[in-house]
Amino acid sequence: MAFDPSRSWDTYPDIEITLNVNGKNYKVKVKPYERLIDVLRYKLGFTGVKEGCGRGECGACVVLMDGELVPSCLVLAVRANGKKIITVEGLAPEGKLHAVQKAFLDTFAVQCGFCFPGFAIAIKHLLDKNPNPSEEEIKEAISGNLCRCGSYYRLIKAAKLASEYVRQGKIYFDVKR
Amino acid sequence: MAQAQVPEYVRVVEELFSKYKEFVYVGKYIQRWDAVAKITGKALFTADFLKFYKDPVYVYTVRPKYAHAYIKSIDTTEAERYPGVIKVLTAKDIPGVNDVGYVIPDQPLLADKKVRYIADPVALIVAEDKYVAAEAAELVHVEYEPLPVITDPLEVVDLKTLKEKEHVRIHEERESDIISHFKIRKGDVEKAMKEADVVVENEYRTGMQEHAYLEPEAAIAIPEADGGVTIIATTQCPFDVRKAVARVLGLTQNKVRVVVPAIGGGFGGKEDVVNEIGAKAALAAYYTGRPAVVIHTREESMIGHSKRHPMVAWYRHAAKKDGTLLAVEANIVLDTGAYASLGPFVAWRAIVHSTGPYKVPNARVDTLAVYTNNVYAGAFRGFGNPQVTFAFELQMDALAEELGMDPVDLRLKNILREGDRTVHGQLLTKEHGVGLEETLRKAIEVIDWYRKRKEYSQFAEGTLRKGIGLALLWHGNSIGVEGADYSSATIIINRDGTITFRTGLTDFGQGALWGLVLIAAEILGVPPQLFRIEPPDTSSTPDAGPTVASRSTVMGGAATMNAAYKLRKRINELAANMLGCSPDEIVIRAPEKEDVKPSDVEVFCSSDPSKKVKWTDVVEQSFWDGVPLQEFGFFRAPKAEWDEETGQGAPYVTYTFGTMVAEVTVDIETGAVKVDRMVTAYDIGRVINRVGAELHAEGGAIQGLGYALMEEIVHDKNGVVRTYNLSNYYTPLVDDIPDEIIPIWVEAGFKRGPFGAKGLGEPSIVAIAPAIVNAINHATKHRFTQIPLTPERIYLGLKKAGKIKL
Repeated sequence: MAFDPSRSWDTYPDIEITLNVNGKNYKVKVKPYERLIDVLRYKLGFTGVKEGCGRGECGACVVLMDGELVPSCLVLAVRANGKKIITVEGLAPEGKLHAVQKAFLDTFAVQCGFCFPGFAIAIKHLLDKNPNPSEEEIKEAISGNLCRCGSYYRLIKAAKLASEYVRQGKIYFDVKR
Repeated sequence: MAQAQVPEYVRVVEELFSKYKEFVYVGKYIQRWDAVAKITGKALFTADFLKFYKDPVYVYTVRPKYAHAYIKSIDTTEAERYPGVIKVLTAKDIPGVNDVGYVIPDQPLLADKKVRYIADPVALIVAEDKYVAAEAAELVHVEYEPLPVITDPLEVVDLKTLKEKEHVRIHEERESDIISHFKIRKGDVEKAMKEADVVVENEYRTGMQEHAYLEPEAAIAIPEADGGVTIIATTQCPFDVRKAVARVLGLTQNKVRVVVPAIGGGFGGKEDVVNEIGAKAALAAYYTGRPAVVIHTREESMIGHSKRHPMVAWYRHAAKKDGTLLAVEANIVLDTGAYASLGPFVAWRAIVHSTGPYKVPNARVDTLAVYTNNVYAGAFRGFGNPQVTFAFELQMDALAEELGMDPVDLRLKNILREGDRTVHGQLLTKEHGVGLEETLRKAIEVIDWYRKRKEYSQFAEGTLRKGIGLALLWHGNSIGVEGADYSSATIIINRDGTITFRTGLTDFGQGALWGLVLIAAEILGVPPQLFRIEPPDTSSTPDAGPTVASRSTVMGGAATMNAAYKLRKRINELAANMLGCSPDEIVIRAPEKEDVKPSDVEVFCSSDPSKKVKWTDVVEQSFWDGVPLQEFGFFRAPKAEWDEETGQGAPYVTYTFGTMVAEVTVDIETGAVKVDRMVTAYDIGRVINRVGAELHAEGGAIQGLGYALMEEIVHDKNGVVRTYNLSNYYTPLVDDIPDEIIPIWVEAGFKRGPFGAKGLGEPSIVAIAPAIVNAINHATKHRFTQIPLTPERIYLGLKKAGKIKL
């Protein structure tokens, strides 16, 4: 942000906002210029939300905000006031895996893992709206996410598999180890 | 190498190579250890640790306005007064040595006399808040005396004569701006050129590629009570970071502890830059006594860390009418940017591979790395080999065209087979495992080469053209003569029967450490699920060398074998005592289930399986009997040889081989290329971690596709990077990938690799670009010689050649 000598950083007032993250309410004080991603990661500890580019290009930081897919690096925290946020940590209850996550395991898709929280959220967003997506629809849904290790084939396969799980009513799975 | 001098740790690897033919865990589909942690978002990457350090200081780097300038003065007073700023650090504040050069000491941590590229660090702002730090950076007033900026390596050196040109010196403190010059001199090239039936000569250019690992660089330094420092960092090479930080801070190495958590991709890029940011964080921690953080934004990452060396090369190939290669001549210039980084080693690997996996009786090759004012270039998956492979594989296709031969037939005529000598005179024997021909034959069979090659030559549907092309590769394993080539691993069997695995090698996504566990599991008989991989920690893990050069599986695997072998021997003796049979008869076996427990593992005698005990009982007994269940394994590669004047010797212990085939559809009026299908056939000696191998075949091909068609760091004439984020530097996304990538594995075992294994990390990108470009050249009936081959370059190239009218 632009430097304004008459108004240096610490003179900006804190603003108290309420965020509902993964079903739980948090009251948190933020600066007007703080981004949602930083509040989620560093003030609330949801470090599953990853920062890859800070420009909404890579998809690593996407979260669901009132059901919509948003890059949390481009959302000011104050704009998320009163909203319901879902991060990768909220996809399944503690100790369980969501169908999307189970499908990532089944397809042996994991490499460095930095992109996965974003892909998981993007695919969950797709399946929420369209439980039976075509391959083209899957590709479109994850076209905003970068996986530099190149797991794309498996991510497409995983999205298909996850949609099957969801259609069969299998949403949550036990973690084996 | 004299047989008598084979060390025990090499003998163990050879023994196990000939003993094991069937495998329980090696080569099987087994979920990597950290998969659940990663998909649930629980895996901790460096920046994530900030949630545990609530009151850190933030370090932001002040970078110059010019890519080349003398520094006249630095005034930090205004920045120091800015609210929230704790300290501003410049070169004079460095207690130790102001240098983070990787191979040669040419790179100050903080510039004091001059800046040589657009992101050269000049000062550090240490502040309470990252916004403050970035703002205050604007208040550091540096007076510069700008110098002419060199962005083209051919302004430094002449491609024909290889002489240094008159130019404004970038590193005046050195004798020359040419940092290395390697040579191959073999046979009589001039005579061969005269006797040849066909000679082809071309110039090739490859672009500067960015790693674009999804996790930008980060380091957190925590001051320790004894004046030491602990650093959490995204590094591939923790022991290198330790060395660099110790040097900058003037500390002994045992006072610097580097811990490596999960890493979001590396591809060679998280080597030298982490020495730099680790040192910056450590310096701030030293001055403030507080945890200090450096987290690069994507922009800082893209302008401030090493890249793949751009190459300009002139090649001349000579052959007989029947296709037999007679000679190769080449002048290769690599642009290493403002600092050497790993440039000299990259140039060396480039020249070793420069004539390809072919019999070349006569050769004259010169490879130079030169300074420019571009962002510095260093290690990137392939390390000089993708560049030269692009050139010599396009040469091979050009030669085939001149000879009227099929590209496959030309290669079959010349490829290296068992019993042949490389261009360096290295004899390839059965011990090396030479599976190149098998990769080629299998790849062309799977893709139906001859039919498609013919069919696509005639294909024309509106503006669409189809093509099929191939490229071969070889890739020397591990680091050869670049440095001390050792590795190590520690296996600790815990009292409950679980196992702790430690190595100083790192995982940045590639999963090689899981391969090491599979090797240990195979030898011990204990399933991989019962292993836990500890994060590398320089204070508690012995030095395992750097995680580079496709060496983790080969070198780390061999070290792991040694540890597991020694443990298994002791366990067999103990169990034999307990069961009353001979140690050779002891079998350790676990039931096949995902949630296997230590008590499920059985130890029995092969002659009488009713004689059995639980694994946990053997482990418990060992503690009572005084049989130690902790073991350290070490391995060092046989010494490599290289003659500086002639390039003769045995540069690498062995080579990975491969054949890549690509099918493309090109729209000649838009220049758009769709890669329809790829076959990637690799001889990696033995598939250890099958999941990891497949992921490399896919991921390497996709990254190689980006290198071939899309990716290039562009500097303007002032040395300013125009492609500074993912919004203007394009990497392949899901829409860009081929419809399918078909992996083929050839397992021509390497006698001194673990169970015969060779490396795959780098080879997986090496020959992708030439395969794709050869296919495009086939489709367009044009000879493109530059990557990235963007739609614009294709369109303009065809237009210039009069092949399209628009």
